[in-house]
Amino acid sequence: MIEVAGLTKLYGSRAAVGGINFSVSKGEILGFLGPNGAGKTTTMRILTGYVPPTSGTARVGGFDVQDSPIEVKKRIGYLPEHPPLYTEMLVRPFLRFAARLRGVPRKDQNGRVDRAIDRCGLQPVAGRLIGNLSKGYQQRVGLAQAILHDPDVLILDEPTVGLDPSQIREIRQLIKSFAGEHTVILSTHILAEVTMTCNRVLIINEGKIAADETMERLRARGERTQRIAVRLARPPADPEGALRAVPGVLSVTRETTPDGSFAVEMDSARDAREEIARLAVTQGWGLLEMRAITLSLEDIFIRIIRGEEAAA
Amino acid sequence: MKNVLTIAEREVRTYFTSPLAYVILGVFLMLSGYIFWASLVRFSVLCQQYGNNPYVFNQLNVNDMVIRPLFGSMGVIFLLMIPVITMRLMAEERRTGTAELLFTCPITTGQVILGKYLGAAFLLLVMLGATLSYPLLIMASSAKPDMKPTLVGYLGVLLMGLAFLGIGLLVSAMTENQIIAAVGAFGALLMLWAVSWVADSVTVTVAGLLNTASFGLWEKLNLGLGGPTLGDLLNKISITEHFQDFRKGLLDTEHVVFYLSVVFFSLFLTQRVVESRRWRG
Repeated sequence: MIEVAGLTKLYGSRAAVGGINFSVSKGEILGFLGPNGAGKTTTMRILTGYVPPTSGTARVGGFDVQDSPIEVKKRIGYLPEHPPLYTEMLVRPFLRFAARLRGVPRKDQNGRVDRAIDRCGLQPVAGRLIGNLSKGYQQRVGLAQAILHDPDVLILDEPTVGLDPSQIREIRQLIKSFAGEHTVILSTHILAEVTMTCNRVLIINEGKIAADETMERLRARGERTQRIAVRLARPPADPEGALRAVPGVLSVTRETTPDGSFAVEMDSARDAREEIARLAVTQGWGLLEMRAITLSLEDIFIRIIRGEEAAA
Repeated sequence: MKNVLTIAEREVRTYFTSPLAYVILGVFLMLSGYIFWASLVRFSVLCQQYGNNPYVFNQLNVNDMVIRPLFGSMGVIFLLMIPVITMRLMAEERRTGTAELLFTCPITTGQVILGKYLGAAFLLLVMLGATLSYPLLIMASSAKPDMKPTLVGYLGVLLMGLAFLGIGLLVSAMTENQIIAAVGAFGALLMLWAVSWVADSVTVTVAGLLNTASFGLWEKLNLGLGGPTLGDLLNKISITEHFQDFRKGLLDTEHVVFYLSVVFFSLFLTQRVVESRRWRG
């Protein structure tokens, strides 16, 4: 559905996007993840034809963004970071205006507007001024505007920013409901959002793709190196050295809490837990606790961003 | 065309659902109405004074003394008010981010700009349409104005207004700040207005100027040093100089073509400006 090759966007000499490649197939929900200023918005703006790329190509539904922008724009529904709303308009007339611009045939316009209002839960505010709506409702009007024409591709730039938790849940449900028939790209810097809605994630950092993986594989990364937490009642004089001596242990770090806790990193091929337990008992260290730590997505994300883990 | 009309319709709605259109219409009608009334009063006083002097009385003409000054003052009012009409057209779209909606919809930049221009032109038509009541009021009295020069005058005011709108739209596309858009458009219009003021004193010929600029090369190539003076050129680019014939009731295609080319050229430049700003992000 979407193919991006060698896409670059320079602002002056600074590269907002520095030669990225990826493709998205039909029905996928792809999460764009990255710190602020990583190039997520720029990439989305190029895909929607708002900003032309400096070099490289982007194709949507087989049409090049540069060569046939109108064909591409017909197939895309786009919700920018700041929902593009005319604050002096009422919700329904605004959506009708958007439907006309998106090329919805005249006879379908009312039906499509009603359906979008329905899907985004806008019935209570359909007759109100957009400028008087809360941020949450404004965001939904923005989303309604993007799905009006039933686009093949839905591009959402931080769709849940500024919403309260229950609204966030509703929007996520809504986005999930598009899977299958539509291709969705959404950007966020909240990991939980990706976990809950996406089936694939693209981590972007400093204009480059740092990781491109399915959710399962990203989670599996957390289990590649095994980490355990060990807590001892009477740690030896040199606990780091003593634990390090156990075969299979890669590193030992003392936790900042003063209660004798250590984080031990082990080779995943060689489980050292049994050996550590035996050692603790024979040496009389007083083993209080031993548990496995799986890396959270946050940890993986931070590691990838810092470049500690090579991109797959 | 459908897309152009969609944009234009929304623009008109915006003007008329906000106080802007009503303030502009009200102020315009108040000023032009007062000026009309004042010259009408002066005209009727003169008519009474010279009622028994047939020589002077026959010189008095409602077209010359009421309608012609009215068109002149409408031009001045446009100079002040059209920047206010055009300032928000592109600048506000950019500031509020709605430009991102327009330019990611399957319509072209040219359609957006043409739609915006037509929306503003509609407001101009309403303003001028409302003043059609002035000549009708005179016709209801015993004075009989000549309608042909009056209509030519209206055509002139309309064309000048359309040219002003084009320039205002162009300036609005260059900035996100409405104040800057208004001041910039006002400055540009005033400059195009004032440019002819020195025309009579500038007697150096254009060819002579080019000769100096090319260090005498022009003369060596035998291109001639005669021809129009710089003052003639300034007169030709002055946006108000072309209006003078319309005021007198003379319809000359030269002036019609001039105004239409100003409109076309400024819309074209607006499209270029918007496109180039997209490249720069």
